[in-house]
Amino acid sequence: MRPGDGLGPKAAGAMAAIWRRIALFQRVLLPLAVAVVFILIWEYGTKLAKVSPLLFAPPSAVWKSLELSFPILVQQSLPTLKETLLGFALASLLGVTLGTALVLSKRVRQALYPHILLFQLIPKVALAPLFIVWLGIGPTSRLSFAVFMAFFPVVIATMTGLLSADRNIVRLCTSLTATPWQTFMSVRVPYAMPHLFAGLKIAVTMAIIGVIVGEFVTAQEGLGYIIMFASSADDTALVFAAIGMLCAVGLTLYGAVALVEMLIQRRLGVTITSSEF
Amino acid sequence: MSTLPQDRREHILTLALPVLLGVAVLGVWQVVTQAFSISPVLLPAPSDIVSSFDDIAGTLARNAWVTGSEALVAFFLSAILGVVAALVLTSSAVVFQAFYPHVVMFQIIPKIALAPLFVFWLGFDSPSRLSYSIFISFFPVALATMTGLNRADANALRLSRALTASRWQILFQVQVPYALPYFFSGLKIAATMSVIGIVVGEFISSKRGLGHYILYSQSHSETAHIFAAMVVLCIVGLIPYGIAIGGERLARKWWRG
Repeated sequence: MRPGDGLGPKAAGAMAAIWRRIALFQRVLLPLAVAVVFILIWEYGTKLAKVSPLLFAPPSAVWKSLELSFPILVQQSLPTLKETLLGFALASLLGVTLGTALVLSKRVRQALYPHILLFQLIPKVALAPLFIVWLGIGPTSRLSFAVFMAFFPVVIATMTGLLSADRNIVRLCTSLTATPWQTFMSVRVPYAMPHLFAGLKIAVTMAIIGVIVGEFVTAQEGLGYIIMFASSADDTALVFAAIGMLCAVGLTLYGAVALVEMLIQRRLGVTITSSEF
Repeated sequence: MSTLPQDRREHILTLALPVLLGVAVLGVWQVVTQAFSISPVLLPAPSDIVSSFDDIAGTLARNAWVTGSEALVAFFLSAILGVVAALVLTSSAVVFQAFYPHVVMFQIIPKIALAPLFVFWLGFDSPSRLSYSIFISFFPVALATMTGLNRADANALRLSRALTASRWQILFQVQVPYALPYFFSGLKIAATMSVIGIVVGEFISSKRGLGHYILYSQSHSETAHIFAAMVVLCIVGLIPYGIAIGGERLARKWWRG
């Protein structure tokens, strides 16, 4: 039972507005409160338990390290960001192209789809050393590895999405003498959007993972290199600072994809949303 | 099941085309590597890879056992922990609102970057790899199950409450059936993640396991061994995935019956 039940319509409306505001506050404030409590426990827990700041740096030390090494962290996040963006863009382009080709030809789909599904399932991370054998330890190998990691989710999402269009609507368009191109653009593409963006969100995470694993293995530059370097130098404060930086990069890119999704959905008037995973 | 010639042709093509494509790719690969005498360090021929199995079968089996058993343990533990966390975090609306954004955020951030920390904290042995693998496999299960438990049809929930169903009855007869498809989609992601977690851990720290063996082969320019290890790793990787699929089938049958 909500407060406001059994009141007059006007009072009930006002109560409902207040109730909505409380609900909004709860949705924003509760997670924030959890984060603050967690940080306080981390800060004072490590101090009370006398955990070595080398082993597990408290938030204040992480903040200090972030301030101190901010220029280096920014400088090192640039190659990571550049390779991630480029890898994601290439993977999306290639993935959407191949996904569309798979929808257009049934024979191509029959021949390729099981292989693509297999590649989606196998632990592709293990192939990172092979990219170094082929392309050296420079940015090219990290970029290609990122494309390789991010490509398959996009293919599968594009294909599933384009095939998910309501059959009755496709049939209706055909009987209304729409050309295949018109049907494709005005029915299949809008239907594909939620799937496509679910795939793109996975791909953006995968592209970062690809670049970071590449940086772990090649150890030349980038945030992944900083993380490896700092952890071998027993500097957990710097490790946390670099991870924080990387999370900021990751969440920004993910947010950008989600934003584009929202804009496109608003334009298309599609209300189906993709799930978060 | 129809036995119309058209359907049968489609059925055969669905099976034959991927196999043919696979054989064709391997054939071209074999011919090209030999015709252009490509260095086996750069790209070994498929025949080289197959024959390398003779030399290293024992090593591969030993390393596959290390990686596979750790991945399976991590897979099961992350599934259990993920479900328990999801049940706790959906037990009340306030708890759900407080923690859901954090679970989503942890699902999104590149957790791979934390791998060196686990090695730093827990050393070079399997506890560090296991906990890292559980850490990255846990979130897909927890998030998917939380989402699923929360998506149960509001009308069904209201009806059950009106019929004075207990909390447990509602959970098991309304919420869990709704959550199962979500849980299994999360579990399938966790199946892949558990292997990735172990392999990344082996890259960084281990002296054993397929991840270590792949890096070792790379530093010794034994590219054929990388491929052979990769084949074995794919098979190992499909075991947790197969378990997830099998579990999904069983659950579906059981819940319908």
